[in-house]
Amino acid sequence: MINPATIYRRGENRTNILGTVVLVATLLLIVLFAVKIDGFATLGNLRVIVSNSASLVILSCGMAVVIISRGLDLSLIAQMVAGAATFSILINAGLNGLTAFALTMSAMVLIGLLNALLIAYAEIPAMLATLASAMAITGFFRFAILRGEYLLLLDKSNPAVALLSSNLLPGISVPLLLMASILIVTWGLLHYSVPGRITYAMGDNFQAARLTGLPVRTTTLAVYVFAAFTAFIAGLVVSSASGTVDFRTVTNGSLLFDVILVVVLGGIPLRGGRGGVGNILVGVALIAVLRNGMTLLDFSTQIQDVLKGLVLITAIVADRFINPRDMETDTVGDL
Amino acid sequence: MLNRTLGKLRSVLAAALVVTFAISAAISQAQANPSIAGKKVIFVPISMGISLTEGWVRRMKEHAAIYGYTLDIRDPAFNTQAMTELLAKAISEKPDVLVVHNPTVQLLSRQIKQAEAAGIKVLQINLQSNQQSSAFVGANWERIGREIAQDIVKSCGDGSGKSGKVAIIPGQLTAADSVMMNDAAFKVFKEHPEIKVVSNQASDWEPEKARQITATVLQQNPDLCAIFGHWDVHTMGAGAAVKDAGLQDKVLVYATGGGDNVTCKAVEDGVLDGVWSYDADGQGRDAATLIDLLLQGAKSEDGKMLSIESPMKIIKAGSDYSPSQCWKM
Repeated sequence: MINPATIYRRGENRTNILGTVVLVATLLLIVLFAVKIDGFATLGNLRVIVSNSASLVILSCGMAVVIISRGLDLSLIAQMVAGAATFSILINAGLNGLTAFALTMSAMVLIGLLNALLIAYAEIPAMLATLASAMAITGFFRFAILRGEYLLLLDKSNPAVALLSSNLLPGISVPLLLMASILIVTWGLLHYSVPGRITYAMGDNFQAARLTGLPVRTTTLAVYVFAAFTAFIAGLVVSSASGTVDFRTVTNGSLLFDVILVVVLGGIPLRGGRGGVGNILVGVALIAVLRNGMTLLDFSTQIQDVLKGLVLITAIVADRFINPRDMETDTVGDL
Repeated sequence: MLNRTLGKLRSVLAAALVVTFAISAAISQAQANPSIAGKKVIFVPISMGISLTEGWVRRMKEHAAIYGYTLDIRDPAFNTQAMTELLAKAISEKPDVLVVHNPTVQLLSRQIKQAEAAGIKVLQINLQSNQQSSAFVGANWERIGREIAQDIVKSCGDGSGKSGKVAIIPGQLTAADSVMMNDAAFKVFKEHPEIKVVSNQASDWEPEKARQITATVLQQNPDLCAIFGHWDVHTMGAGAAVKDAGLQDKVLVYATGGGDNVTCKAVEDGVLDGVWSYDADGQGRDAATLIDLLLQGAKSEDGKMLSIESPMKIIKAGSDYSPSQCWKM
């Protein structure tokens, strides 16, 4: 017997329990690090934490929107590096920043559309479609465009690169500004735009959304194009900061892990339909504080990976208990 | 009469032809050793597409063309699992010489042993495994680690008026070069208690990770004196962080690498302050020579590894600097 009460009682607040738990854990961690590490609780360190997580926040916005629509984009990092590589090749060839941006943006829209076509029209599961496109993108770039090279070096004196890593106002750098704008845009799109609302409906119950007559396929196109856009912006931030475009970021895979970790930790359930910008901020806060503290404590990379893995497992298990699957959410082919 | 003269002329010409042919054959025999033509060499690098391996292969190919042996490259593209599979396949093809580039001291050691047991001569290039084989060509990591550490002690130690704080950025903690350089460097630092290693975190050879680590470390230690990066490519990310913090005049950024023109540009731009270059171009030629010799049956008398140590070039900004210290692809 289905008890209607259990369905009825599912409110937004229940999903946010994980977010709250993570928030409390983050605060405890901040207190712990502040006591243990000299120089942790300083304004300068806060600035480092925020600027080091700019690209992570931007990527997480893209991933969050995809996951809310009950999708998954495993090609996000490949797209990020491909976008940064295209942009760098164009400006290295002497194009001005604006033209290079416009050209790369159109290429990114194309990649996003291709992903979405596979998912919405060919009806291939998102995980498989984007895994395949990630490999195709990386392989294509390494083979045809970089001719086997792994690294692309950027001239930091190029005006476009210099602008991207400069400070607009003292203490407010362009990456920070980009991060803030993407957060605001994501929030606006999710809450006030029609495709945004449809995204929630799709994540909540895809079949119902479709049967109601909502344009689920066109919305899927919009969702994956938005993800491609965030990937490109994150690529610009990363490559202008370090002066390199590095294809090993894709093959090492730890960044993709971090992005999914942020979304899940923030309390956005992997089956979609819930969550928002607030959840992303909570997730990033924990990861960024953890990463910063572990670096300051001089933990080795391996130990850092182990700890992050444990955190993700804990979060997923907690997610299972807090958001148990029921009649409303359980579907075949679910993640 | 005419016929007889023509006949004589013909025989003289024929004799001359025979002699010329014999001489030219003798000369060509002296130039190329025909006994190694047609032999088979396989190279399994960590990855192609980086100047280091591309530089080596360029020289190896030149030698293979001179002597007429074949050189096959099997590129695992930084994937260690693919690397062991490619190596297994290479061993099963029974080449005469196998060239391997060890990502860690442990990963390929069993396969190197297996190849040597099957009669394949294994040349290890630049990064050594803990398994001995026929030959090794590459940098002396102990020396690089020691010399960079000594330079850091000179610039940051007693009497320099600096904090003595040092950050080390290895590639991977288990990579042969990182293990040996860290051992050597810590040995030097131990004798100088004023030197304090405040961070020793691997970057996975990625510039962006090195940049983030450095930004964090600089925040906590703005009086950092030196950074020792284990590869010039990822250390450029650390250099970018130092530059962004406006500390490029205060923090020394040292690294080691293959020394192509990108390295020189980084030194010119002030991203790196000093690079201990093992000259990948020269290493490529050394490796190629060693392959030629191994194919001709060279081995050491006591059965130990044949070994060629790459000479060092120290590339530093200042009056001694010249862009000719770097090579170009």
